[in-house]
Amino acid sequence: MVLHRTLHDKLPFIVDKPYKCALYDIDKNLIFATDTSPKQLQKDEEYYLDNSNIVHIVEIDPYYLGVSYLLINVPINQDKITNLQIMIVLFMLGAGFFFLLIGYFLGRLFIAPMRDSITTMNRFIQDTTHELNTPISTILTNLELIDTLYECEAKKEMQRIEIASKTLSRIYDDLTYLKLNHNYNRDIRVIDISALLKERLLYFSSAIQSKDIELVEYIDQSVLIKIDRDDAIRLIDNLLSNAIKYNISKGRLETILTNRKLTFIDSGIGIENKDLKSILNRFRRANGSEGGFGIGLHIVDQIVQNYHFTLALKSKLQEGTEVTITW
Amino acid sequence: MVKYILFILITATSLFAQDSSVSLQRDCLACHQLHSIPSQMIYRRYLMKYSSKKIIKEKILDYLKNPFQENSIMPAQFFLKFKMKESSPLSSKEMNMLIDAYIEYYDVSKKLFTPKKS
Repeated sequence: MVLHRTLHDKLPFIVDKPYKCALYDIDKNLIFATDTSPKQLQKDEEYYLDNSNIVHIVEIDPYYLGVSYLLINVPINQDKITNLQIMIVLFMLGAGFFFLLIGYFLGRLFIAPMRDSITTMNRFIQDTTHELNTPISTILTNLELIDTLYECEAKKEMQRIEIASKTLSRIYDDLTYLKLNHNYNRDIRVIDISALLKERLLYFSSAIQSKDIELVEYIDQSVLIKIDRDDAIRLIDNLLSNAIKYNISKGRLETILTNRKLTFIDSGIGIENKDLKSILNRFRRANGSEGGFGIGLHIVDQIVQNYHFTLALKSKLQEGTEVTITW
Repeated sequence: MVKYILFILITATSLFAQDSSVSLQRDCLACHQLHSIPSQMIYRRYLMKYSSKKIIKEKILDYLKNPFQENSIMPAQFFLKFKMKESSPLSSKEMNMLIDAYIEYYDVSKKLFTPKKS
């Protein structure tokens, strides 16, 4: 501006090192340059890289000395860029670590109530299992004695007691299975799953009869699989008890056993599609209408995974559920 | 032969430049100096408004052919002190040559320099 006002014969244009400058008119023709800048301004970008230089073009208005574009050229200081990169990396690492710590503490804080309730539940299961075994065994043994030795008139009531006791016994077995966390010594050998399935159907016969469920059996003879007997019992018992428990009165229960798979199809209340994925989780219950801890299908899933079987669940609300184990 | 042609061209160009500079002094600046009309300030205003030599030339030519207030770069107050110039008897060719000389005379790119640091 000062140079413009004077317009003397000599107009000193002072530029400090390491900057280089060039002045262009509105037609992008070179007016003056402190270095060998092009006669015609080629670029339209505000900033661009030219070899190892950064070039900044500033539009000027009003046009002092007729200058419309000021081009500033400065060599890139690699040391400063390296320092900046190091600072950015260090900052990112620091921030990452800081947020990780915050996340960890907040996470612990937020899941604390859930962790407490799971701990309480586990402790409750642990304590309960200790105390359940003896009375259940006593009830079942005495029921069997009464049935064998005495002619009891209250047959129906006796049957209800038997069903209730067996349910308790099964819950006890499930809880023990969970409590021991499957760390007991498994005795894996080839067993006749056909015979075992029939035995368990007989065990549940009272419960099936009490709900007046039509039992349809398609059981191939002498199907053999390599599995621990207790695991097999837990697998069958849990699937069967679910098929009975969630079945409707006078419903239907199909049991199909072939060389490759075991299927239970019930005509029960079914499971909603959105619950199908989470139903295998521990303490997850898709329906609260019946009693239970929500550990049955979790145990089934554990056993299926242990033996590398596959579990397929198909269900339609108010129509029924089909569970298939394939090995 | 080539050197001979070059010599003639350079000599002719410098003679022409010298000639146009003399014409500028005689046909333009002499009157400006006589009536104290600030020709440098006028050029500064052209430069600041149009930046481009090409546009400046067009605008000056336009003013010289039609010397009215609306074609002038100077504000109305300027003409309270200095009277509006009369239409030029010069031909377009002569006007063009004089405008080129005028722009050349005040050319900023020739005045600018980078002072050497001691």
